[in-house]
Amino acid sequence: MTDLATLPALLVVLPILAAALPIAATIINRRVGWSVAALALAVEAGLTAWLASGVYADGQRIVHRLGGTELARPDGGYAVGIELVADPLSTLVAGTIATVSLVVLAYARQAGPRGNGFYAGYLLLTGGLMGVVLTGDLFNLFVFLEITGIATYALVATGDRPQAAVAALKYLLIGTVGASMYLLGVGYLYVRTGTLNMVDLARVLAGTATWGEGTWLAEAGALYAEPLVIASVAFITAGLGVKAALFPLHVWQPDAYQEAPDTVTIYISALVSTAAAYALLRIFLIVFTPAFFAETPVAANAFLVFSVTSVVAGSLLAAAQRNVKRLFAYSSVAHFGLILTAVGVAVHPAAGPTATRFAIYGAVIHLVAHAIMKAGLFAAAGSFAAGVGARTVASYAGLARVRPVIAGSIAVLGFGLVGVPPVIGFLGKWYIALGAISAGLWPVIAVVLASTLLSLLYVARILEKLYFDRAETPEVDQKDHPATDPTDSAVAADGGRTALPSLGMVALVAGAALLAVASGFAGAEVTTAIDPLVEAVLAGSPEVGTNA
Amino acid sequence: MLETGAVADPRPLAAVLVPVVGAVLIVSSYRRPALREAWSVLAAVTQFGIVASMIPGVLGGTGYRWSMGEFVFGIEFALQADALGLLFAGLASFLWIFTAFYAAGYMRELEEHGQTRFFAAFAGALAAAVGVAMAENLLVTFVFFELLTVVTYPLVAHDETAEARAAARKYFAYLFLGGGVLVLGGTAAVYWATATYGGAPTVTFGATASGLEAFFAADPWLARLVFGALALGFGAKAAIMPLHSWLPDAMVAPTPVSGLLHAVAVVKTGAFGVSRVLLDVYGPALAAAMDVNLALAALAAVSFLAASVIALRKDHLKRRLAYSTASQLSYIIMGVALLTPYGIVGGLLHIPAHAFMKLTLFFAAGAIHVETHTDHISELAGIGKRMPLTMSAFTIAAAGMAGIPLVAGFVSKFYMLVGAVTLEAQLAGLAFAAALLVSGVLNIVYFWPIVYAAFFETAGDADAKPLIESPFGGRERTTASDSPVQPIADGGEDAGYAVDRAPSDAEVPYGGDADHAHHGGPPPGGWERRQPWSESTWLMTMPIAVVALGALALGIVPGSIAALDLAIEVAESRVGEALSGVIG
Repeated sequence: MTDLATLPALLVVLPILAAALPIAATIINRRVGWSVAALALAVEAGLTAWLASGVYADGQRIVHRLGGTELARPDGGYAVGIELVADPLSTLVAGTIATVSLVVLAYARQAGPRGNGFYAGYLLLTGGLMGVVLTGDLFNLFVFLEITGIATYALVATGDRPQAAVAALKYLLIGTVGASMYLLGVGYLYVRTGTLNMVDLARVLAGTATWGEGTWLAEAGALYAEPLVIASVAFITAGLGVKAALFPLHVWQPDAYQEAPDTVTIYISALVSTAAAYALLRIFLIVFTPAFFAETPVAANAFLVFSVTSVVAGSLLAAAQRNVKRLFAYSSVAHFGLILTAVGVAVHPAAGPTATRFAIYGAVIHLVAHAIMKAGLFAAAGSFAAGVGARTVASYAGLARVRPVIAGSIAVLGFGLVGVPPVIGFLGKWYIALGAISAGLWPVIAVVLASTLLSLLYVARILEKLYFDRAETPEVDQKDHPATDPTDSAVAADGGRTALPSLGMVALVAGAALLAVASGFAGAEVTTAIDPLVEAVLAGSPEVGTNA
Repeated sequence: MLETGAVADPRPLAAVLVPVVGAVLIVSSYRRPALREAWSVLAAVTQFGIVASMIPGVLGGTGYRWSMGEFVFGIEFALQADALGLLFAGLASFLWIFTAFYAAGYMRELEEHGQTRFFAAFAGALAAAVGVAMAENLLVTFVFFELLTVVTYPLVAHDETAEARAAARKYFAYLFLGGGVLVLGGTAAVYWATATYGGAPTVTFGATASGLEAFFAADPWLARLVFGALALGFGAKAAIMPLHSWLPDAMVAPTPVSGLLHAVAVVKTGAFGVSRVLLDVYGPALAAAMDVNLALAALAAVSFLAASVIALRKDHLKRRLAYSTASQLSYIIMGVALLTPYGIVGGLLHIPAHAFMKLTLFFAAGAIHVETHTDHISELAGIGKRMPLTMSAFTIAAAGMAGIPLVAGFVSKFYMLVGAVTLEAQLAGLAFAAALLVSGVLNIVYFWPIVYAAFFETAGDADAKPLIESPFGGRERTTASDSPVQPIADGGEDAGYAVDRAPSDAEVPYGGDADHAHHGGPPPGGWERRQPWSESTWLMTMPIAVVALGALALGIVPGSIAALDLAIEVAESRVGEALSGVIG
């Protein structure tokens, strides 16, 4: 179906083009920004659904070649241009991005920040994320990572307090260093293999490329043990590790999440690190494949050490936090550690086919699950901040009485983070644990099982405060977050209800909780959907799904 | 599949969902307490009806199964009603009916806050407990096991005091350690082991034994480790030592919670889980071959002896009952872990027997608290005059706990003794039997003073209770008047021992005794005499009487209540031989 082949390009281009509209439309009407963004994202969501129906109909792989078919694969071999690939894995993450973008925009209508500049940045960020997810080219991935990054830096800097600018600058510096590392890694790969396309790279690295006979492009045998290739893995991991906030490269995340406006925090916590983790997953599984790690086991082990440390360190640091958004930020560090642990197990030499299968299931399911749960939790934190000005755990005391729906959703989503079935957080953990046990990696098994208790450390604190503690005085933490707009944020002296949180905000929170429980029962559907990825990895093929 | 002829039937699902619907209705009737309590009773009666309707079929050999389809790769989310599950589910739902009445009376008399949350969470807990009972495989058991912990947390923290919050935190820590860490790891390990060694991955009860046998042959110590993880994980909820200390602290919860949940539903899910692991995941043959069952039985025996000894020193009545619960739960584990047919029957029969007796004891403790605000045994002297029916029920139940005939506890203990002495390892069997008898004596030692004080003493004229009042290690003086050793003139305060200068939290209520001022005890003129029908609200005395009578019924005619039949059915099907000489 050639119609579907243009969809990947549309999905990337539409938000980027639409980003110019709110600014341009200012000359007509200053308040049109939200509507333009909503329209654009609604169309985006529709297009993604259409694409998904085509991809998941029978595990297809839809490829769009930028610039037309003449540029791609002359002489029956390698790609010259850039390919956008929508296969079962990338479509799943693209669908998540489209849904979350639209829903968070509904949240932003009342929660703010408002302003056409904000909506423009929001759309640019969506376009960048779609590009990261849908691209099939490593350098193109860098370009979209940078677009994403710059948009994120700008959005973080729109926070209320002066610390927001500092946080954004910190994120910018560390993020740019990370992106540059990634670029270095890609550069080394290009020098060694002469190609940037993910599929072609995989073939060249494996020594199965079918082009360039007699030239330096046709290498005999696998390139996995070459120093340039090993170095490139290290650089790419470091770069994407910064973006995915892997310990100890996470230092930008707590400040950025805390200081960004609440709406922005929801969005970036759910999607930005997710896209980076997706990229890491794809590159490890498809480009380098477990065969690389079989040649260089120390790479897999080192990666596992860092991810496992992320889980423990993130949880412990989260348990020590007083500010709720900071607490959730460290919780993200821990859960991305869990996701990347699954990736590490999937590529580990000790992992047989079953271990790889389960680890991949766990990584992908937890990637999406974490996005849903974290979005809901940050939305709840934002709702509490907007409604009663509560930003610290101590100020949550007794709030369950005043805001039962939000508190109940925090309970459900919190238990999802802990891994209580049937919330979806359990599914990912089950598969990761099973993968680790199948691979026989004892330290990993111990940490994955202990992550239940580690997450409980901070979740139980919040729930206890919400439900079983009494507020002595209505708390507005002037030191942490002074009320800037007296009409719609700070708590009144009588602690009474204000117009916020709006219905849209509460709907997002409750909807996330309901979705987390409902999708906990949809495990079978999701594993069927990503089976093509598992087959491709087990068969050593860089093409996920059958070519359309 | 456990039963050879399992038919598809929605009743297992209905039994789990009815209390959930009840919880929703309870929350929506928050403004009308009478209607709200009525929903509780109605849900309980309906749930019991559904469960009871499945018993005849199961005893006849048909199982009932409901499935949602694939939940995770290779495992279905399925519920199945078999003999073992119905034993537990029937017990829990039957006792919920009476606890619903009792709780209504209790909460109203004390004018407690948060009653809607209480009753809704209670219903949720029963849903989760019956879910554990009906689970078809280890993973579904795990799902409901965790949900049970989550849903009973608000009940433990109900009081919203610092003590309650601390107890609830401990509750979470121990139970998530047991469930979310150990049981999850064990379940995943069983899945992997059956996949690697048995050909097909499975965690369904009854289908895992062959794969695990091959696993044991290949890697014996790892197989034992997996068994240990599962047994300890479920055992944490059954308050086996050393993971028992959450239970006494959880007594801060309102007494209906301590009674039904922490003596019947929650802790019994732990014992039930251990039984499933022994009987259905590993199977008696494999567990015996692995030599793990005797280790577990020994741990349980040590546990019940130690808990009984600790109970001797507890002055707070509910804490004494908590240690008694920990002790009696280990009876169940020991009985089933013996893996002899009579041992299994005894252990499984102790599930309903102990439930009836312990619930009576807790109901009595709660009634005493409500009517007289007395929580400590040292203040109970002469209370039999004030609350004759309550204390009579207490006496019956206490007699049963010690194993005195005509009350339920005797029947199960008898079978356990037979099971112990018929053990192939004769010496070990005799040791277990001796432990059971010693524990029976200890039960008398810690229950008799309460009964004696209630009926045979008067308020101002109580004997000293050295076990409770004396410090550890004794006092350094003699009672002989002309002894050359001078009595220590220290103003009566035994400040010579560190344990008395700085008593641990276990002895002193959170925040110090001053906060929990003993405002219980008899009024200045002594207890007034009351008649059984006027000693307390009917909402509380009716359940006490009924449950005590149930304990008597189980002791006098155990064969005519389905419990014994179900227990025998389970034992015969797992061990594969018909039992002779049982009262049927």
